[in-house]
Amino acid sequence: MTRCSPAAFFHRARLGYPLLALLAAGPAALAGTPIEERAPADPAGQVEVSNTAGSVVITAWPRNEVEVTGTLGEGTERLEFSSSGKLTRVKVVLPRQSSRVQGTNLVLKVPAGSALAVNTVSADVTAAGVRGSQRLQSVSGNIHTEAAAEDVECKTVSGDVKVTGSGQPGLLTVTTVSGDADLSRVAGEVNGNTVSGAFTVAMGDTSRSRLRSTSGDLGLHGRLTPDARVDFESISGNVRLDLQGPVGAEFDVSSFNGDIRNCFGPQPVRTSEYAPGRELRFREGAGTGRVRIKTLNGDISVCNK
Amino acid sequence: MTTDDRQELPGSLDAALERLPRSIEPGRDLWPAIEAQLEPRAARPLKRWLWPAAAAMLLVVASSLVTASLLRRESAPVARVAPVAQELRYATASFGPDQQLGPAYDAARQELAQSLAQRIGRLPPQARRQLERNLVELQRASAEINAALELKPGDPLLEELLLNAYQDELAVLASVQQLTAGNGSGTMIDATRMQL
Repeated sequence: MTRCSPAAFFHRARLGYPLLALLAAGPAALAGTPIEERAPADPAGQVEVSNTAGSVVITAWPRNEVEVTGTLGEGTERLEFSSSGKLTRVKVVLPRQSSRVQGTNLVLKVPAGSALAVNTVSADVTAAGVRGSQRLQSVSGNIHTEAAAEDVECKTVSGDVKVTGSGQPGLLTVTTVSGDADLSRVAGEVNGNTVSGAFTVAMGDTSRSRLRSTSGDLGLHGRLTPDARVDFESISGNVRLDLQGPVGAEFDVSSFNGDIRNCFGPQPVRTSEYAPGRELRFREGAGTGRVRIKTLNGDISVCNK
Repeated sequence: MTTDDRQELPGSLDAALERLPRSIEPGRDLWPAIEAQLEPRAARPLKRWLWPAAAAMLLVVASSLVTASLLRRESAPVARVAPVAQELRYATASFGPDQQLGPAYDAARQELAQSLAQRIGRLPPQARRQLERNLVELQRASAEINAALELKPGDPLLEELLLNAYQDELAVLASVQQLTAGNGSGTMIDATRMQL
């Protein structure tokens, strides 16, 4: 394991006494300490990164090495960097009792087949070109990543999530409290859950999709596979489903207070003479897929364009 | 029929009536069948499909509490943080006009919320504000569905939405609990101790 404390950095860099004197001058002099680490890594290994504040930028490269560059924030205790077997760890360690710590900016290059596990508090996370599975988590930082065929899981409280897929089917799971999610060119299975975030999904073929919100709007644009199972649910968010290509599915759409609109023809009917509630059930094409949409107050729109 | 009327009846019929038994025992015990029909209305239990769902929710809460408790033990406190988010106090979780999810569920949810209230102060301010706002939003959603169930008791759409709303609330509480767990009671979250 290599520890990139400021003192170790200066020792390794052989910068001599003048800079050590500068180091002794006080923490302010340490602002933006450069990071430069590199170690061999398994081409399909796991890379774990944790950084509280600042940013994490990860890109894939064709080498079997992990490289970490960037700048260590002022007040940070050290950077831990280790690589053993299939696991590479990059951790920005903070002093336990200090609250004055500047953000650390990490720039990683990892083998393209790596699996990622990234944890941040307010640091933004950006990943590109990684083909392995990804588990990206941030409290308030934004997450931007690219999805290949492997599973991708993104979780935030208030941070926004943007995932760009490659069109290959995979499993994508996005959970936010208030963060918005913009998922494009994804395919296969998408699971999304939010309280007030707005979720927009542009898919190729969708086989399984489950989106739920409390007040956030939900939208999906894509093609249903013949055995598709699509399930939307929201309390007060609006739901919009725009389907492409031939549609063969049974639709089960209902709302307690919201409007139901569709481009297929059948009209919603009241579920009770004396209380609110409308439902729309119909079969389109072969009817082998299933589409369920439920809201309390949110409006629902189902169309094929 | 009055006493005077009876006195006007022919003697033989009057005597026959007098000979009739005051009560008749049924040929078989009818009470079990009657009781079986009365019991559901008296107890108003949750629908059969709700029990496994409620149990699953309790399992989520229990596992989150155990995790939080273990992680709390692992981390030595380094600073005290004033508890915040007093509004994270929940009323009894009702399920429509005359059903409730039960005291065990309420206690578990309250404990999870209190544990979160002690940690929420270490979230970045903007995230904390958003989280508090959204927890209130979740409670508002449950209340709104419960109000709708008053209008339309037993409506399957409303019951499904309400059950999922409670599940979502627990999922958010558990998720943030995990995000902020393992950090002792320090003044800020350390990403190296966050739970993946």
